[in-house]
Amino acid sequence: MPVFIEMLMIVLILLDVVLLGVSRLGAFVRAVAVQGVVLGALTLVANSGNLTLRIAALAAVSMAVKGFLFPVMLERAMRGAGVRREIEPFVSFVTSMAACIVMLGVSLFLGWRLPLPDGGAGMPLVVPAAILTMLTGLFILVTRKKAVTQVVGYLTFENGIYAFGVVAVGEVNAIIEFGVLLDVFVAVFAMGIAIYQINREFDHIDTDHLSMLKG
Amino acid sequence: MEEALLLWSLLAIPALAGAGSAALRPQKAMLAALIAGVGAWSAAAALACVLVFGRGPAETAFGWLRLDALSAYHLAVMALICFLSTCYAWPYFGEELRRGRLSSRQAGKFCLLWGGSISAMTLVLVSNNLGIMWVGVEATTLLTAFLICLHRSKPSLEATWKYILICSVGVGFAFMGTLLLAVSAKGVRTDPTDALLWTNLVAEAGKLDPIWVKAAFVFLLVGYGTKAGLAPMHNWLPDAHSQAPAPVSAVFSGFMLNAALYCVMRHVPVIEAAPGCEGFATGLLKVFGIFSILVAAAFIVFQRDLKRLLAYHSVEHIGIISLGLSLGGAGAFAALFHTLNHSLCKTLSFFAAGRLGQIFGTHDMEAMRGALKVSPLWGTGIFAGVLALIGVAPFALFMSEFQLVKAAADGGSAVSIILFLVGGSVVFLAALGHAIPLAWGDGGGREKQKAGAMELALVSLPLALLLVLGLWMPESLEAAITGAVGVLTGAGGAAGPPVWGAGG
Amino acid sequence: MEFAQTINIIAGLILAPLLSGVINRVKALFAGRTGQPLLQPYFDVWKLLRKGAVYSSTTTWVFKAGPVVGLASALAALCLVPAGGAGGFFSFEGDIFLLAGLLALMRFFTVSAALDTGSAFEGMGASREVQFSALAEPALLLGLAAAARKTGSVSLAGILGALPQMNPADAAPVFALISVAVYLVFLCENARIPVDDPNTHLELTMIHEVMVLDHSGPDFAFITYGAALKMWVLGSLLAGLAAPLRTGFLWADVAAAAAVVFGLAAVTGVVESTMARLKMVRVPHLLMGALVLSAVAYMIMLR
Repeated sequence: MPVFIEMLMIVLILLDVVLLGVSRLGAFVRAVAVQGVVLGALTLVANSGNLTLRIAALAAVSMAVKGFLFPVMLERAMRGAGVRREIEPFVSFVTSMAACIVMLGVSLFLGWRLPLPDGGAGMPLVVPAAILTMLTGLFILVTRKKAVTQVVGYLTFENGIYAFGVVAVGEVNAIIEFGVLLDVFVAVFAMGIAIYQINREFDHIDTDHLSMLKG
Repeated sequence: MEEALLLWSLLAIPALAGAGSAALRPQKAMLAALIAGVGAWSAAAALACVLVFGRGPAETAFGWLRLDALSAYHLAVMALICFLSTCYAWPYFGEELRRGRLSSRQAGKFCLLWGGSISAMTLVLVSNNLGIMWVGVEATTLLTAFLICLHRSKPSLEATWKYILICSVGVGFAFMGTLLLAVSAKGVRTDPTDALLWTNLVAEAGKLDPIWVKAAFVFLLVGYGTKAGLAPMHNWLPDAHSQAPAPVSAVFSGFMLNAALYCVMRHVPVIEAAPGCEGFATGLLKVFGIFSILVAAAFIVFQRDLKRLLAYHSVEHIGIISLGLSLGGAGAFAALFHTLNHSLCKTLSFFAAGRLGQIFGTHDMEAMRGALKVSPLWGTGIFAGVLALIGVAPFALFMSEFQLVKAAADGGSAVSIILFLVGGSVVFLAALGHAIPLAWGDGGGREKQKAGAMELALVSLPLALLLVLGLWMPESLEAAITGAVGVLTGAGGAAGPPVWGAGG
Repeated sequence: MEFAQTINIIAGLILAPLLSGVINRVKALFAGRTGQPLLQPYFDVWKLLRKGAVYSSTTTWVFKAGPVVGLASALAALCLVPAGGAGGFFSFEGDIFLLAGLLALMRFFTVSAALDTGSAFEGMGASREVQFSALAEPALLLGLAAAARKTGSVSLAGILGALPQMNPADAAPVFALISVAVYLVFLCENARIPVDDPNTHLELTMIHEVMVLDHSGPDFAFITYGAALKMWVLGSLLAGLAAPLRTGFLWADVAAAAAVVFGLAAVTGVVESTMARLKMVRVPHLLMGALVLSAVAYMIMLR
């Protein structure tokens, strides 16, 4: 069972690499959706010892929301804004990939410093993969210009936190988990509305040009 | 039974009031209903606080909702600020209605989001479960975000976007911190339903894993500190506070920042009591606090926009509160007293800035001159507000800052005192430099504005409180703050007075 | 086991040109054509060997040395790579670096010969080739380093020999990543889509073909045969990394290894038929992706 978790962690790391390397917005959004589905699978695998209906429901709901609902909402925001379907980063893709290697190094270092208590013996990749996903999310937030890509960065960041929580903490109370999921959903919803309004007011969603308020 | 009713009604009344008033039609009626609803909530909050200070912490919902001395103190401050701000919405939006700038849709949106935000902030204060507290903070972020862009314009949308993104990421960090804290408690408690209850964590803090606890606090401080406005995570603050309508800015600065800092305060006793972590939390708080003061001081010097100036003052004062928290019992007392004073003062200042902005048509301080001539009431309000903010005696902020310096001197942290005084002096000079021409000066030939009775009350009440508190500390207030400090330094929790109404 | 080791070399020498025949046949199948005969590359090499060579007066000995050194290094690389259960003809600790070095030597002399002609087309192809290999070579080396770390041996024979005995659950993730990275390097080194289109007629879009534009006769035969050998070498390496089969019978193992290499050629044919060539600016991104995959494979083993 730790083997499956390790494999899912490697898939998570690969999805982070994909997120940093793709240049088409469609593939970008789909990559974070696949990440959400992988995390749903991780929920099921991590709790396979004591699978209850509640955990299965949580996994199913989070897979549906992250894998299906979020891409649909983002697609709608993009279509409404009429964006060019290419990611325009501040740093080139080659630099992003190099940054990915550096971030992986940092994550592995932090993973050594934070060994999981008791049940974490056979799963050395969990903390590094989660931290890498969080760092990838932050990197995307900072280096990509379009508002939609910043939302995807936020989603990746939340995915990293969720990956850590599901394996390291195990079962937190269902209300909290559903509350968190609801919060993320509303956050993405709010961001979608904001993008729509920004586009109406500004005629673009290039956050590089949102620089009127200075000092 | 009564405490369950009280706690649940504290959560429910604002949301219901907001929804109910949004359903009415003429905007004036909406605002009146909102004021009535928030007034009812404030009364309930006052009642709850009096009961908690008298009888001890109140619990319900299997210990998930809990009001102890620290949260009751903050609830009292919140009730005062939110009620004043809701009352202020009447003259402020009244002026906008007179100019035809507030549609009923916008008013409805305002009422709904306002009520929801107050409920969310109450949830932050009354939850004993750290996870639910987090849910409340995130809900606060999302609900207040669209209050900023109530009047849609390019700057306000830019501010809204920055606010949503920076605060969501910050709150995400805080969630990671909460998860790390849960991991540190993993060996201690096997029942996951109780894992994140604050009372349990404080009681068993001696058994937590120190590495995870330290990592957790770093994430928590950075995360909740983003929402509180600690530098260097404060970038959303000036934009959001300057672009939002004045009542919203007042609540932001007056309470929402304090609510986020409250979340940090909740975690401090847990961290400090963990083995090997003595002084870790307070050390970090001190660093961030001093950094915030200095950064704010630097930016205040160059400000042109009045509301941005006040926003940077908020950053500075949150830094002062953090610094106070890091100085032990006496410092924490000063910090909590400062919370009350700063909230009152900032609320007054934003009231004045909002009305003056409406009168002058701009918030640019170069263009706003002679406020005392144009509107004696609000000119007095803004000038007195700025004076109080920079720590002029006999206003209460001078007292709390003085107590803080005294605590620092007693504790022997000379560097903190020096840096604090440097920052404070820069702010003093810069803010006076902005405020004097603002208050005196030409007036630009505008006609004198008359002020209604409510506006008079809205200015005189905070001013009077600030003056009174600066000269005399009532015993009940002192007892309340001491009780709150007791919770902070770990005297509360399991070893405190018998819990009133547990299991209800 | 001298005989076993020579089998590999003989198999490589004889079967290498068949690989490009297989690729072309698969592409034709996808296109609904019958396509070239499978043995067409052999006929091409034989035809070229019997022709005369034409040398430009602006070239020097470098131009004549290019194809010769290229073929020599390809033959040397062939002697290094083990296939099946047999070790390579030459095998020693650290021979993975020699393998990469021989490929680099071949590339260096091809590029030098191209620059030696003084023509703009060859120079353009040379610059592209060097730019891409600057990213592909670290990917290959880091992938081999990861494999070495996992299996605990620094020789090709050691790595490919230890692989079948490893626990699949333990080794599979790392070697899956390494295989994908080495496959991307394979596509780059052998000038396959999506890096380079071997069927293009436009010199401005060529990378490999344009470098050897001015070679003719036996020189071009050496180049063609050397390229085929390079494909066989990288293919055997990849077959050993991705599909380590071991039945214990020498002939069966060698035959299985050869079958996997041909399977790889077929897969390449499918890739060529289903994908379009990448924009030139995107090729470094692809190779950087290969480098990152190798780096991930290496770093997840660090404990």
